[in-house]
Amino acid sequence: MSLNKNMRVVIVDDYTTMLRILRNLLRQLEINNVDEANDGDTAYHLMQKNPPDLVISDWNMVPVTGLDLLRKVRADAKLKHIPFIMVTAESKTENVVAAKQAGVSNYIVKPFNADTLRAKIVSVFPAMV
Amino acid sequence: MSQNGSLQLPDAEGYLNRVIGELRALKAPHKNTLVSVLEYLSDHIRVTRNEIGALKSGSGNAQVFSTTTDELEEIVTETARATNRIMDAAESVEKVAVTLEPASAGALMDAVTSIYEASAFQDITGQRITKIVRALQSLEEKLAALASAFGPLDETFVANAPEGDAALLNGPQMEKTAASQTDIDALFASLG
Repeated sequence: MSLNKNMRVVIVDDYTTMLRILRNLLRQLEINNVDEANDGDTAYHLMQKNPPDLVISDWNMVPVTGLDLLRKVRADAKLKHIPFIMVTAESKTENVVAAKQAGVSNYIVKPFNADTLRAKIVSVFPAMV
Repeated sequence: MSQNGSLQLPDAEGYLNRVIGELRALKAPHKNTLVSVLEYLSDHIRVTRNEIGALKSGSGNAQVFSTTTDELEEIVTETARATNRIMDAAESVEKVAVTLEPASAGALMDAVTSIYEASAFQDITGQRITKIVRALQSLEEKLAALASAFGPLDETFVANAPEGDAALLNGPQMEKTAASQTDIDALFASLG
């Protein structure tokens, strides 16, 4: 299974530590074209200016949550096709169901490892497998 | 009593004491049992009011809840700082690793990846602590509402305030109010 190393990824989390972890793990996957946002609003504006190839977002953020962001992305004609992976500590069934209903592409529960991150990224680009 | 005649919580202790006084004045048989029960209730209300007053004022000069909240937020700040230092070190190792021969580089990169993965603890603990802070804030609001229902409180009453050597145990210091090592050295030197 291969990854498109040139893809542009937007990572969204209100914890700078987690953004750094994601960026570092993506770099180990040789994905270096990464933009960061600390909240859903900033991420959405970033995406509108320059649509990415993939979004990896936390859920629990204020004022715009990861779920809000996902819904905005899926309602936006320009962005709705973009794979969206939720990376979150919210692991109840109802969370996963709500995210799925909102159109999430895959779901990673924190804490996660590099293998899981890679597997989920690969899974949302089936044509590249 | 309130203007509409209903008994309000702040009046309860005084009302009970008046009833107790009136009962004592009676020459009714078996009154002592009823007086004892009402005295118990009156004492209970007084102690509860004092305890709530103590919680509102906190022990010492600090507010119990805001101090606890600050302590918890400090944990988040400290763990974030430590995590960033750990990742600084891991990133340095990663830069060196790519210059090594493949076997060594691979082993080091695996270790670095494990460090990155483990560093997620800061995010998880941070979220948990944030939930605790919110719960404390909610508790504080409820306590304020309860205190308000009890009317004016004696906030000078301090329950179980530490004394003696126990009163000296207030660390670790909060960063925003902490004395630096330089401050401590200067103080130490000034004490002769």
